[in-house]
This record gives sequence, structure tokens and C-alpha cells, in this order.
Amino acid sequence: MGQQNIPVQVLGIDAGGTMTDTFFVRADGRFVVGKAQSNPGDESLAIYNSSVDALAHWNRKVEDVYPELVTCVYSGTAMLNRILMRKGLKVGLLCNRGFEQIHSMGRALQSYLGYALEDRIHLNTHRYDEPLVPVSRTRGVTERTDVQGSIVIPVREAEVRQATRELVAAESQAIVICFLQSHKNETSEQIARDFVKDELKKLGSPIPVFASVDYYPSRKESHRMNTVILEAYGAEPSRETLKKVSDRFKANGAKFDLRVMATHGGTISWKAKELARTIVSGPIGGVIGAKLLGECLGDENIACSDIGGTSFDVALITKGSFAIKSDPDMARLVLSLPLVAMDSVGAGAGSFVRLDPYSKSIKLGPDSAGYRVGTCWPESGLDTVTVSDCHVVLGYLNPLNFLGGAIKLDVERARQHIKAQIADPLGLSIEDAAAGVIELLDLTLSEYLRANISAKGYNPAEFTCFSYGGAGPVHTYGYTEGVGFKDVVVPAWAAGFSAFGCACADFEYRYDKSVDLGLPENASDAAKAGACKTLQEAWSELATKVIDEFVINGFKPEDVLLIPGYKMQYMGQLNDLEIVSPVTSASKAEDWNKIVDAFELQYTRVYASSARSPELGFSVTGAILRGTVATQKPVLPEDANAGPTPPAAAKLGTRPFYRHKKWVDAVIYKMESLLAGNHIVGPAIIESDSTTFVVPNGFETTIDKHRLFHLKEVK
Amino acid sequence: MNVINPLNKGSGDTGFADLLKNGQTLKQYRDGIMKRTADTGYYNGLEKLALRDSDPIGYEKLFSKLRGGLVHARETAKKIAASPIVEQEGELCFTLYNAAGDCILTSTGIIIHVGTMGAAIKYMIENNWEGNPRINPGDMFTTNDCAIGNVHPCDIATIVPIFWEDRLIGWVGGVTHVIDTGSVTPGSMSTGQVQRFGDGYMITCRKTGVNDTPLRDWLHESQRSVRTPKYWILDERTRIAGCHMIRELVEDVIRHDGIEAYEKFGFEVIEEGRRGLLSRIKAMTLPGIYRKVAFVDVPYTHPDVQVSSAFAKLDSIMHSPCEITIKKDGSWRLDFEGASRWGWHTFNAHHVAFTSGIWVMMSQTLVPTQRINDGAFFATQFHLPKGTWCNPDDRRTGHAYAWHFLVSGWAALWRGLSQAYFSRGYLEEVNAGNANTSNWLQGGGINQDGEIHAVNSFEASSCGTGACAVKDGLNHAAAIWNPEGDMGDIEIWEMAEPLLYLGRNVKANSGGYGKYRGGCGFETLRMVWNSHDWTMFFMGNGFMNSDWGMMGGYPSATGYRFEAHKTGLKERIASGGDIPMGGDIDPTHPTYERYIDATAIVKRDKQCITTEDCYENHDLYLNYLRGGPGFGDPLDREIEAIENDMNQVFLLPEFARKVYGAVFTEDKGVFKVDAAKTKARRAEIRKERLARAVPTREWMKEERERIINKHASVQVQHMFATSFGLSEKFTNEFKKFWSLPDDWQLLETELGVPSYGSVHRMDLSTLPDVTTVVQCEE
Repeated sequence: MGQQNIPVQVLGIDAGGTMTDTFFVRADGRFVVGKAQSNPGDESLAIYNSSVDALAHWNRKVEDVYPELVTCVYSGTAMLNRILMRKGLKVGLLCNRGFEQIHSMGRALQSYLGYALEDRIHLNTHRYDEPLVPVSRTRGVTERTDVQGSIVIPVREAEVRQATRELVAAESQAIVICFLQSHKNETSEQIARDFVKDELKKLGSPIPVFASVDYYPSRKESHRMNTVILEAYGAEPSRETLKKVSDRFKANGAKFDLRVMATHGGTISWKAKELARTIVSGPIGGVIGAKLLGECLGDENIACSDIGGTSFDVALITKGSFAIKSDPDMARLVLSLPLVAMDSVGAGAGSFVRLDPYSKSIKLGPDSAGYRVGTCWPESGLDTVTVSDCHVVLGYLNPLNFLGGAIKLDVERARQHIKAQIADPLGLSIEDAAAGVIELLDLTLSEYLRANISAKGYNPAEFTCFSYGGAGPVHTYGYTEGVGFKDVVVPAWAAGFSAFGCACADFEYRYDKSVDLGLPENASDAAKAGACKTLQEAWSELATKVIDEFVINGFKPEDVLLIPGYKMQYMGQLNDLEIVSPVTSASKAEDWNKIVDAFELQYTRVYASSARSPELGFSVTGAILRGTVATQKPVLPEDANAGPTPPAAAKLGTRPFYRHKKWVDAVIYKMESLLAGNHIVGPAIIESDSTTFVVPNGFETTIDKHRLFHLKEVK
Repeated sequence: MNVINPLNKGSGDTGFADLLKNGQTLKQYRDGIMKRTADTGYYNGLEKLALRDSDPIGYEKLFSKLRGGLVHARETAKKIAASPIVEQEGELCFTLYNAAGDCILTSTGIIIHVGTMGAAIKYMIENNWEGNPRINPGDMFTTNDCAIGNVHPCDIATIVPIFWEDRLIGWVGGVTHVIDTGSVTPGSMSTGQVQRFGDGYMITCRKTGVNDTPLRDWLHESQRSVRTPKYWILDERTRIAGCHMIRELVEDVIRHDGIEAYEKFGFEVIEEGRRGLLSRIKAMTLPGIYRKVAFVDVPYTHPDVQVSSAFAKLDSIMHSPCEITIKKDGSWRLDFEGASRWGWHTFNAHHVAFTSGIWVMMSQTLVPTQRINDGAFFATQFHLPKGTWCNPDDRRTGHAYAWHFLVSGWAALWRGLSQAYFSRGYLEEVNAGNANTSNWLQGGGINQDGEIHAVNSFEASSCGTGACAVKDGLNHAAAIWNPEGDMGDIEIWEMAEPLLYLGRNVKANSGGYGKYRGGCGFETLRMVWNSHDWTMFFMGNGFMNSDWGMMGGYPSATGYRFEAHKTGLKERIASGGDIPMGGDIDPTHPTYERYIDATAIVKRDKQCITTEDCYENHDLYLNYLRGGPGFGDPLDREIEAIENDMNQVFLLPEFARKVYGAVFTEDKGVFKVDAAKTKARRAEIRKERLARAVPTREWMKEERERIINKHASVQVQHMFATSFGLSEKFTNEFKKFWSLPDDWQLLETELGVPSYGSVHRMDLSTLPDVTTVVQCEE
């Protein structure tokens, strides 16, 4: 290290609830990770402190490095927290008359969203959260457009103006407009929006107006309304936060334009129109990072697995692209945002372990110890066993070097709790009980991975599994064993992988639009061409929106690469599949045939060919357009091969390690000291300050030139 | 593995196929399990759980794999469906059975079908399906027959046998609630038919596929037997895809863990389920006898109930007294002695619908766990007297809307359980009762796409829930048959129904009053739009509360119907005039009628069951989904809660005053309750109550006179007469309780109402070559 002449080019930021991580990458691919306590009051300060921490590894100063950076991507939970804590603007809502309560009623499913399976069926645990907009700040106006887009009852101007005046009088700081079926025909909502703006002008009120047709014009009014409200409620205050972050960078000499990680897996400017889609970004970073690594390694099918303290998140990259969910839920609200599809199991390294009092079965989670680790940390105040306790007892974790030695763990205390709570009631030894917990968790995770892959119509043998997150590498062998992945990869920077991933993300805008196209299986060529025309019109409309966003950031339209896509289903179905279009523009019957073929191929993969139903005809339900411009991305290190034998300095000693009913001595290595080409055969444990990589008997690993560990089962 | 093996052929109609490769027929095998269970009290005689005790971790792993796979198969398969009932409401479920048809594990979803598909498998076993039509790898069987255990005909089940090395080792079943079954009128739970023969397309465990492929005759026949073939096709593909995913899962598990472990697990997990229920009951309740009762109205004489048979034109009441006996060992007995007779309507229920279905409710409260299977059934003793509405003794009975009274019958059980929780101190678990999950908006005709269509709104999955002993019930949240309720998006329902929404809002006053009020229901106003030859009807409780509250809490409001024809709305919309939009906030002082033509034909009454009637575009229909009952004396309700309810329009001011004793002021629609004045007013109300009160013995004397003089409406008398007719025990208890003379009796014949079927009845079991499966004490 210390090569001060090599410029630092890329910065990724993951501003989480407790810690703010920064990830700096040099032009030669070397990277450093910094950590600092998050500061909800001034995020820019936490980022600064975290940067200082990171750059200290290179003996460099923030003031010198910030001006060198060519790209910087932020991801954080500030927006999400604002929503969860209900600290947003006072929004006024204009909806159809007769539907004034629909937002506060919410969908019934919001009363159990985010619940574990057993609480979802346990009725008396259900509850609603406070609505973002109260009924007292909601007004209805006479209007109805039908499902086919015909205006049944035209919007009435006087009512709109009256409602506007009332919402202003009720101290609204923003007005949201969302009419039923406006995604199908935007006319009424646009007319209402213009009346509202005009009336606000007359009143001299500067408050912003958010019409759903201008923001998230997709079917399902509860999703659409929640999302537009979220935009008005939380996005503008969040933009202020981002401006502060950007200003501090600028004050320290930064020349880059700050970008923010968005739910669709691309980054957008902090000046972007739709900022609600930055509500969740951290976990997405990992998927983006895995995609970039996959491109380097030549893997187009990747199972991304991220295990943290409370959950296990799985995302799949197939044929080089990740899936998008278009009506996800977050913060216990159904939303209409494109979100990188991830599935979660509510079990992680900090999950509590209990015996069900009725069946004596082992239950993991759903609650977890979080930062309190487990009963092995006496200061935690906990007395319920966690997964980490089991790891400590079995020698997986170094009790003296947890979080780089920041806290000391008490093995005996964990042993006693496991004995009393798990081992004795099941008639097992402490070690077998603890090992059983780990095996059960690993099995749950591997079954989950396997099921997710088969649900997409693939076989694990076609996939490389990437394992990251602070706790990932402890479990990697356990949840990949026997699944049959092509390769299993653990990056040396697993703990900072999300921040790394953010730094890898494209500058990309994505817009969606509902369309309703239905054609029978044997439609005429003229009908097919007609359908293509409608789809092409939607793409063109979206292209204008996408290009406009880039123009704000100083790009020229010709810099933008446009990627069209669509959502399709058999006519009458309620679930569509998202397809990257096989044609770049659509006009002819042949184009339609290609569009249909691409859909059927994917459908067959997901649901088996017996579920194909072409006789019902085909519907295109949505048009999608993504646009990207080239950005600087991190380059991976390229180290020289130092041969299979680890340097003597890397070996720290041995530690007793329990698995498969026996204790063995595992060799302990220091991760940072291992070199490219080193080969390690289990039992071994590779430690760094922020993560522990376990290689048990029957496994071996090699570190490659990019500092990626490849884990293999020894046949 | 699951492909036809040419060697594995049955030996003909009477044949024995040796499917189990142990020399036993399926029936002999099942008989053995039942005998060992009966002899020992443990499922299949399993006093010890050898696999679980010797390898608890391995056992849990098996559990986790199978259960995870079942849930996953359901989540994946449901996306194939077109019907919002399946896709949005989640009305589908997959269940894994052992070879005897006992349920090992089930997915999430409407888990009422744990036992209904099991009953179908048992029917195939008892009636020698292995000889004819034979059971081979790759076969599919379809059933929806209500006479052998299905709840109602719209729940269509696909059942697939699972073989391992040519040996039958189990079954997997998948069920979806289809949108139309081709009954006399459109919709999945139609009214109008009064017998099985109008209830729709009925399939009895028919072999509908071989070699994993549906048979063409089945596809052609079934698709033209219903009004909505598109939904039907995709629903069937959903079921088949899910069953095959689960069959593969089982094969994977066996390859990994071995057939011996799998089969051991398949028995032990049921015994574990049995013990699980016992320990829950022990932990949560107080032993003793709990008695509850429920009623619901069957108003069939009204001219808007148009049935084909004169003998069905009868107003009656269904009666469900229940006695819960919780024993010291945690086992329990659920006794429905005294229930009224089945009737000429569609509200009858097979006993399996009851004994199986009940777990969809119990798993919301007593056993909210993934470990639900037939073990819970084996821990429960059911007494459902033959001939009652919940165990009919005639093969002509209709079942399309068995739920009409199942929801009430079970709600009474839940109230009984709540009393047991309360006694034990688990106040948070108390539920003061349940909503009658209606109205069911149904109908059909030609839809906005010009196709023959049927509609069946499932907004009823989001009724108000009963109040708890520590908090209010939830508004528009769930149904007794589905804790994961959801009313769905309007924009999705408008795709499925040619009915334009003119309002959706919380139904004021629909939650039962109380210290903690029941959850309010909601209502949606629809304008018929873009249809042709359109019909609709209503289904729900109207004249009676079908459940009530606890500890002084009020029942939820009953139903009513509102429909309007010749409304003039077309002209009003064109001229920009006032039109009805939003809630029917105060039905006593209705406003809808002010915004439609004075010459409109309006039906606004308590007749909440009707049959198919014609609707033109611009006609109106109100879909009112009921609230839940309350808990505790309304005079104990917090002031702020009353104020909040009034300001949210959950409570009308008149009732805040009358029921809660609230004294308040109003300023521009904002209510403020005066705490001191309210306190004083409540003291007065308490005095008024005392002034009205009479000692119980006095009141009983008066009531006794009324009974002796038969001073009761015909409906009440008819209900009791059918209960008395079926149960001497109930009659004697009734007479003893009211100290009635020995010769007092109440007979159907004296009531002057149709009594068709009261004497001459013929059960399915009397048909030649039929063995019925009885799973309760009759």
C-alpha cells in the first residue's frame, strides 16, 4: 500500500441504520472499506467520517482524494426511516369522490405485510399502520374513467378548485392526485392537475403537485396511490438530505455528480424527478456487484446470497440480467415501483433459537439479536440463544476477535444457555444441539436457494453462487453443500460488498407504462402489426422521459443507450412476465412473433410446458424502457499468482472446531495476508476484522487474482 | 419414477393391485392404521416417535424441506391462474397425504382442505378405486363432490398419487376455488337451486388424466359444463403444476433421505400434530364445559327468492348449539347435538366440511403454526348428529353456499374458546365473535368483452374482525375462513366485473359496539356498466345477527340490500347533475335515492338472499361487507376512541349518544366529546338499566309461558321443531331447562309450512356399491 500516486476513482456509500460504509477503489483495483457510526441528523458528516476511516489505510486525506474521484454512488435508509417514522410532509390527497377513505383504509393485506408465516395466520397479531395522509386532508371530486379507458363521468372543474382551496386551507405542503383507471386514460387526471395548479397560482401557493399519471402510471390503484404519496411525503425532504451530502462533497473539492442507487438496480441523479424509488437501495447493491463480478468471470447465471444478522436475501441473475418486481411492498405499503426481485427468509446469523413449547421443534427467528450478537456477549443483556452463540460454541467464530476484537465473547456463557434451552430438552450434547441448529439453518437456506432457482426454471448446475454480507462466509459451505452449483465465490470484501456494488451500478433510468394489448393465438398480420404500433408508441413516449432525465444531468440524447422491454401474459392471466425485448423497435407481424416467442420460452422455463396456454391468446400489459450512459466502474485487482502455498505469515494458529459429531483442529488464516493462487484445504478458518470464512473438512478453497475465494467440495 | 409401468396393472374390477407391495389392499392398510389408532389412542399406535426422538435434527430437516416445498409450490403455481379469487385472494392450497389419505403437511392458503381431499382419497380407498378405475403412476383424479366431503362444489380438487419404485407411498392434492361451477345460476356460491341437482357440475373422484396428461373427453366435457372456461382451464393448470412440483419434491426428499425415513416421518408427524394440539389446549384454556349457540336466517318466501320447488318456499332459521368439553389431558369434544335439520337450500354442509374446515379457523387462534395436519383431527372428538345441517342424511342436499352457516357455527366455537382463554388470562387471544362474511356479490351475463361471464366478488374476505379483550377489532381485514384477507384493488375487480365502482368506504356503525368495538366492515357501490343481459343477486344474513359479542359487547350490524333500477343516471351524468357516490352512510336517512330519478325502482330492505335478477347498465348495487362483534360494556369505552370513531365516520352520532352515552359538540363536521358530561350521562344510563331490570327467575317464568303458548314466530318454531325431531336428548334438555310439562311437544306438522323431506329421507350410503366414509360420531 502507500502508492500515493495511484488515483482513487470510485466511491460507493452504504448509509445503513447503524453504520455508514464507504468503499474506495483505486485505478489499480485496490480497495479500502471505511466504517463510521451513522448520523441521521447529518448524513454528510457520517460519510465524511467513514471516508476518513477508509482512506487512513492508504494514508490519504479526504481533501486530496475527493477531487480525484470520477464517480460516487450513494445508497441509504434515510428515506425508508422517514416513512417508517412518519416524518414526512403534510400531503393533501385528491381522489375520486366516494373514495376518500381508500388510502386510509389501505389494503387488508397491509395489516400483515412483513409478518412471519405464523403471525400471518394468527389473526389477533394483525394491525394497520397510520396512513401517510389522513382522511381530513383528502378530498374527492366527481369523476370516473372505466377499465377500458372511456371517460364515464367527466371531471368537474368547480369541485377540483374547491377541493384545492380546502387542501391548502388544511395546511397541505404538497398535493397528490390519483384517480381510478388513470393509468389507462390520463385525460381526467391531467385536467384536474392543471386546474389544481391554476388554482394554486391564484392562491399564490407554491406547493408542488404530484399527479399519478406523471409519476407511476401502472395498474392497481392502491400501489400507485401509495407510491405517489410516498414521493410527495418523503422524496422532497430526502432530496434536501442528498443535497447536503452533495454540498459537503463539493466543499471538499469533489467534481463528480452524486448519484443514488434506485430500486430498479440502476443509479439516478439526486436531481431525478422520481426519488421515491430510492427508498430501498442497500441490499440491491450486492446484486449489482455480483452482476459486475459475473461479467468479469464470464458467469451469466448467478445466485446472489446475502446473509446478515436478521435475514437471508436471495436474488438471481439469469442470462446476465436480474428480475424486476413491479408491485413490491416496503415499509408495510404496497407500491408500484420496479424493484430488483429479492426473496428473503427471516433467518440470519443473529436469529434467536428457541424450542417451540408445544412441539419441541427448533424455531429460528423471526426476531433477532441484531447488534447484540447473542448470550455469548455478556454485555448484551440477552439470555436467549442465537445462531451466533452456536457458532462461538463450535469454534466457528473467534471469541477474542469478533468485529476485530471490538467485543469479547464468553463461550462458557453461551454453552450454558444452549445446554439449558436446547440441548437438555432434546436429549443432545451441547455440541450436537448447536451443530443441529446450524445444520437446520443452513438447510433452510439451501432449500430456499434451490427452490428459487427451480422456480425460475433453472438447474443449480448452471449457476455460480456468490456469498457475501457480514455473516455470509460463515455459512457459505453449509448452504451450498450438495446444491450442485457450478462455482461458489466468496469475495474477500464480503462485508463491504453492498457498498462495492453501488459503485458498480450503471447510470440508468427506467420507466414503465401500463398498456393493454390482447391478440389471439392466430391473429392476422394486420392485427399483429397494429399491436406492434401501440407498443412502439409506448416505448417512444417512455424514451422521451428517459432522455429528459439524462439531459438534466448534461448528457446528450445520443449518449443514451435505450433498452426496450415488455410484460406479457396469456390473455386473462393476472401475472405477467417481464421480458427484455428481442427487437429494438416493433412494427411488423414478424416483430410480434418474436415478442411472443421470447415470452413463451420464458414461461415454459418458469411454469413447465404443461402450463402453457397459447390457445387463450397473448396480452402485453406493460411497456418498459431502460436507458443508460457509460460511467466509470471499479476495476478488479489483478494480482500475480503466488502459488498454492499460503505465506507463513498468513497462518495464525489452530482452533478446535466441531462438525459432524467430532472436534478437529482448524487452521486459522489471516485473510488479508493470503495471496492470489493460495490453496487451502479444510478444516480451516480464514479470518478478517469484518468477516470469517469457514472451510470445513471436505471443502477446499483457492483465492484468485481478483481476491475472490472459490469454494469447492472435495470429491 | 411416476410413469406407467406396464407390469403394474390391477387385476380387474374386483381386483387387488398390490399398490403397496405388502400384500394388502389400500383398504386393509387403512383399516390397520385406524385400528391401531383406536386401540392405543396414538396415531397408528405410535406411542413413541422413534425417528424424531433418535434424530430430532434430521426430523426437523425433513419437516423443513417438505413444508418449504409445499409453500413454494403454491406461490409459484398460483401465478398461472387468471381468476382473482385464486391469484389475489389466495383461494388455493396444496396438501401432502400418506398412502392412507391422512394429511402429513399442508401449504398455506385455505387449509380447510386438509381433510376434504383426504376424504376423497379415503372414498377412493373404501370403494376399491385400485381395482377400477385403477391407480397408476401419472394418474390424476378430480373431485368436487359435496356428498363425500367437499365443502361446496366450486372447490375443485386435483389429486395425484405418488409412487416410489412402483409402490404407492402417498398422494398430493391441490384445490382451487373456481369462479363458476355451471350451477343453475352464475357464480361460485349461487342461490336458487335447492338440491344437489342444481348445484353445478359434480365430479366424484374421476380419473381425469393419465401419464401426467389430462384426458381429452374430460377437458371437453368439463370446459363446456361451466360458464367461464378460461378461468377453469388456467385453474386446472395451476392445480396440476403445483401437484407435480410437490410430487417431484417428495421424490427428491426420498432420494436424499431414503424411503424409510420419509415413510416414518409421514406417520410420526401426524402423531406429533395430535400431541401438539393437546399441549396447546392445555396451555391456553381452562378445562370445563363451554356452551355457545349460533343462528342464521334463511328467508325463502320472499318473491325475490325464485326457486323451482314450492316446498323450498319456507322462512326458517338454522340452529347450531355447541358444547365444547375440554378435558384435563387437553383433548376435547365438540358436540353439536340439537342442531337443526338440513334444508332445501344450498347451506348444508357435509360433516367433513365441518371436521376438516374447522382448522382454518383454529389455526388463526389456538394453533397458529405451520405444523397443522390430520393430527389435530385425531385429537378432537366430533359429535355431529346425522340428519343435521352439518351432517345431512339425504343424497339430494345442496351445498353451494355451505359457508352461510359454517361461519356462524364456527364463530360460536371461537367465542367458546375465547371464554376459555379469558378464564386462563390470555386476554390478547380473545376474539368476541366473527363477521358473517357476506355480502356475496354474484351474477353473470355478457361482460364488457362480449363474453359469457360469471362474477363472484371476494371483497368479503375483508370483513371487520371481532373485538379483542384488550383492543378493538380490525376494520375490513379478514374472514373466519381466511385470516390473510384482502379486498383487492378496484382496478383489478373492474377487469373481472362489468361494474363501475362509485364508492368504497368503511361501513359506519357496522362493527359491534363495546368497550372495544368490533372492526367495521366496508361497502362498495357499483353501477352496472358495459354489460348485456346482466344479472346479479345477494347472499348474506339480513334479518338476524349470525354472531354476537362477549361480556356486554354488541353484535355487529346485520345486513341489508340496496339495489336500484331505472335510475336515470345516464341522463344525470350527461347533464352534470348530482349522482350517488360513496357510502350509504346512514341507511335510516338514505341519500342515494335523492340522486337518482324519483321513478327509479329501489329495493332497500333486509332481504339479503335473492336469486338471479336482471340489471341494465346504469343500475346500482351496493356490496356491503359486514363488521365484527364488540367486547365489553359500551359505557366503558374511552372518550377519545368514541370521538375518533365519529370523526372517521365509523360511528354515527346518534349511536354515540344512545349506546355509548357520549355527550358531544360538532363544529364543521369535527366532533368533540365532553368527558365530564359523558360521565354524568353514563351514570344516568346505568340507573335506567337497573330500573328496567328484572330478576332472571322472573324473566324465565315469562319466557316459559311464551314457550308453553308457542308464542314465537313460525321461523323460530320451525327451527326448534327440526332440532327436536332429530334429537330426543336436546328435546329433553330443553324441556328440563324450561320446566315444561312432560307432554309438551312442538312438531313440524302443526306449523302449516312445507315439510317436504321431514320424514322420508335417503342417504348416499344406501346407494348400491357405495361405501361412505364417516369421520365423526353421528
